[in-house]
Amino acid sequence: MWRALRLSMTILEFQHGTLVLTGMPRDRVERIFPAGPFVWDARAGLWRADAIHYRTVVERLREVNALWEDKVPRWSTVRWPKPNLPPLRPEQQAAVEAWCLDRRGCIVMPTGTGKTEVALAAVALVSLPTLVVAPVRDLMYQWHRRILERLGYDAGVIGDNVFRVRPVSVTTYDSACIHMEKFGNRFALVVFDECHHLPGPVRRDAAVMSAAPCRLGLTATMERSDGRQDDLTPLIGPTVYEMPISEAKGRSLADYEVVRIPIQLSPQEQVRYEELSRVVKYYVAQRRKTDPDYGWEELCAETGKTPEARQAMRAYHAKKSIEERAEEKFRVLEDLFSLHAGEPCLVFVGSNQMARDISRRFLIPCLLSHSDKKERLDVLRGLEDGTYPALVANRVLDEGVDLPEVKVAVVLGGSGSARQAKQRLGRVLRKSGNARAVLYEVVSGGTKEEKRSVRRRDSDAYSKVRHRRL
Amino acid sequence: MLRREHAIAEYQGGKVIPDRLGQKQHGHYLGYARQMLDIYARGVGQNRRQLHRAVWAVFENEPDCPARRIEAFCKLLDDQSEFEEDRGGKAAELRRKVFRMAASKHPLLSRADRLFGSEESAVKAEIAEKFGRSWDDIDADLFSDVFEFRRLKRFEGYESAQALLARYNVAQVQVALFDAESMTVWATEDFKTILRYAKLARLMHTIQRYGDQGYALRFDGPASVLRTTRRYGAAMARFLPALIACRGWRMHAVLRTRRRGWTVALQVSADEGLTSHLPAPDDFDSSVEEAFAAKWGDEPRDGWRLIREGGILHQRQKVFVPDFLFRHDDGRTALMEIVGYWTPEYLEAKLATLQLFQDQRILLAVAREAQQVLPESPHTIPYKTVVPMQAVLDKLNES
Repeated sequence: MWRALRLSMTILEFQHGTLVLTGMPRDRVERIFPAGPFVWDARAGLWRADAIHYRTVVERLREVNALWEDKVPRWSTVRWPKPNLPPLRPEQQAAVEAWCLDRRGCIVMPTGTGKTEVALAAVALVSLPTLVVAPVRDLMYQWHRRILERLGYDAGVIGDNVFRVRPVSVTTYDSACIHMEKFGNRFALVVFDECHHLPGPVRRDAAVMSAAPCRLGLTATMERSDGRQDDLTPLIGPTVYEMPISEAKGRSLADYEVVRIPIQLSPQEQVRYEELSRVVKYYVAQRRKTDPDYGWEELCAETGKTPEARQAMRAYHAKKSIEERAEEKFRVLEDLFSLHAGEPCLVFVGSNQMARDISRRFLIPCLLSHSDKKERLDVLRGLEDGTYPALVANRVLDEGVDLPEVKVAVVLGGSGSARQAKQRLGRVLRKSGNARAVLYEVVSGGTKEEKRSVRRRDSDAYSKVRHRRL
Repeated sequence: MLRREHAIAEYQGGKVIPDRLGQKQHGHYLGYARQMLDIYARGVGQNRRQLHRAVWAVFENEPDCPARRIEAFCKLLDDQSEFEEDRGGKAAELRRKVFRMAASKHPLLSRADRLFGSEESAVKAEIAEKFGRSWDDIDADLFSDVFEFRRLKRFEGYESAQALLARYNVAQVQVALFDAESMTVWATEDFKTILRYAKLARLMHTIQRYGDQGYALRFDGPASVLRTTRRYGAAMARFLPALIACRGWRMHAVLRTRRRGWTVALQVSADEGLTSHLPAPDDFDSSVEEAFAAKWGDEPRDGWRLIREGGILHQRQKVFVPDFLFRHDDGRTALMEIVGYWTPEYLEAKLATLQLFQDQRILLAVAREAQQVLPESPHTIPYKTVVPMQAVLDKLNES
């Protein structure tokens, strides 16, 4: 009797990042959901769908007046102990309102225009358990701080070897895509910060395995070099508000200027560089005689088979290292530090090794991915309050880390994608009175770095500024 | 376990062949393995970068060794090592002090021939004096908490040079599995162990008979029914050493390559000589089983042949592998489970399992202590210390 009763009851549950439907006869499932998302899972004898479909499944079941039990949500309302939200500027208010219409979708705003304030306003308004997903640990902790400041809530942390889940929590993409299958039904709202990170084949699970009916994506740019930005609509929702960077310029952002400084390798470096280039070129040319498609991947695959390939590979790495760590760069840095003495200065480099070399040479703090929370805070605050005159960072500061007062940035090499250029410019563009911000770009002349620099200037952010050669 | 950046594999006709050090072609690697183990065994106090450089030096003149293989060895050696952790954040504290001292002198110039700024060497000498140490000492400690500068504290090692090479071979198959979308194992033995470890790795199974002795076991995860996903590849990699420790299996995994998105197959079997670091599964769960099997022998009795754990009962994701399968010359089969007395919880779980498979005819040899707990059934054969052979035969012949 009990068994029969249980079988007739339709139940929707959350299981390992999927929705599981039991107790509904096949013909009825097929009638209510003719176009999916449910798939018969013979392994377990039930209907299964990705958790992301929770909202549409609920809407559909309500529409047909089905008798069912919803065991998915493990969320209830959240009270904010001490809300302390600043008034929003009109364009920020417009962004919040646009998102609130459907409580899902992406907001595109340039860095420095207060995306965080917009998101916190939305979070406060919804007042439901919320997970904030950030690209890196620094940003995760920054969100933790901002939630504490603005809402008085001590959020849980998932990532950086911490696993403390609370109704409002912060995490990183890498942790979210692994753990979402465990807690995808504990958050009603997921905020994807710098959401262009989401559509990767693995990371997208952070959205797909979540049952959250409310989703907010934040980004300064929707561009992805693989064109996957279109995936954001099914994963988060459509773009509900967009503020172009040119609109932001000169209003809430400081005016800025890009100065490009080409440097020459020292004669010894140049000789060595050309020597290494020849090794690589000769080897690849030889191989292309028999295999016209011979490229990087093939070279990697061959390093185990022939000492020559390994030699070519070593030459390639040595070459890169020369251009990255050219002595001249240290001299240029000396000059720039002198020129801007008294102004906080940010230096971006392409590798941890270079960041440490600069740190050891100039005795300025460096931020690397290994830096712990305490040290990161000390360094970031120290730069802000003038304790430290400058800071050198590898990629960890690429995105969104708050550095309000910085007006001078130096880029020493680095990758040339359009997104990175915008993000890095964003660091310098913080509003700070009438002071103009400067971004110096130091590249080795006659090397690959110069090509990357050209590519970088092709992006939207650079096209609006003046270029000057020293 | 290795990481993706250590993976070495060849692609041939839709198949992936993970890097494998064979005795014939790589016999001389035993010497390298000994040298590497020696470097770590004597390396306590050295930092990771020094150890890795020493390992690289071992392969200096070896033409047949890709960089990734060397890096993989470093990782496998690190995996068995304990490194100093700088728990109190001593290096970070040193940095904090040094950078604060230098802040007022910023920028440090190579030659102070200008009006402002200070000379690098002078500032460093001054700081060194305040610490009462040489600048080189301070410089060496400044980033001693960074991964590659941590010092080796303890090296647990590998059983032997062979064991290190064996682990390398398994690790390359594991890392290939990171890209796996599904895995099928054809097994003729050790079903129980295979299924148990797959479950421990949180994999889901689909079980089908294969021939009259074996089973095809397909493994993937919850979302696999919705879309192809590499999500469960890591779980399959974790499961692999347990599978390798078993006998009589063949494995086929479907992989999707990261860069090009091609589908390729990975095939491994028990007779390829891969060696697991896990022990082979025990033949018997208890001495009662072992004694019964020994007494029955390899020859059929009344036409019934005894096969240990020869049949899998399964319903959705619940699995039950009874201790014995009897197979008659005329094709009839029967299952038998020996229920000793362990704890009330054990009996309860056993009872629940038996109820789930109540439509199956399973002979139950029940220890006297357990008889009060288990309900009476026509399939029950009570025993005191030894399962009575004749009673089992009688029950078998009733069918």
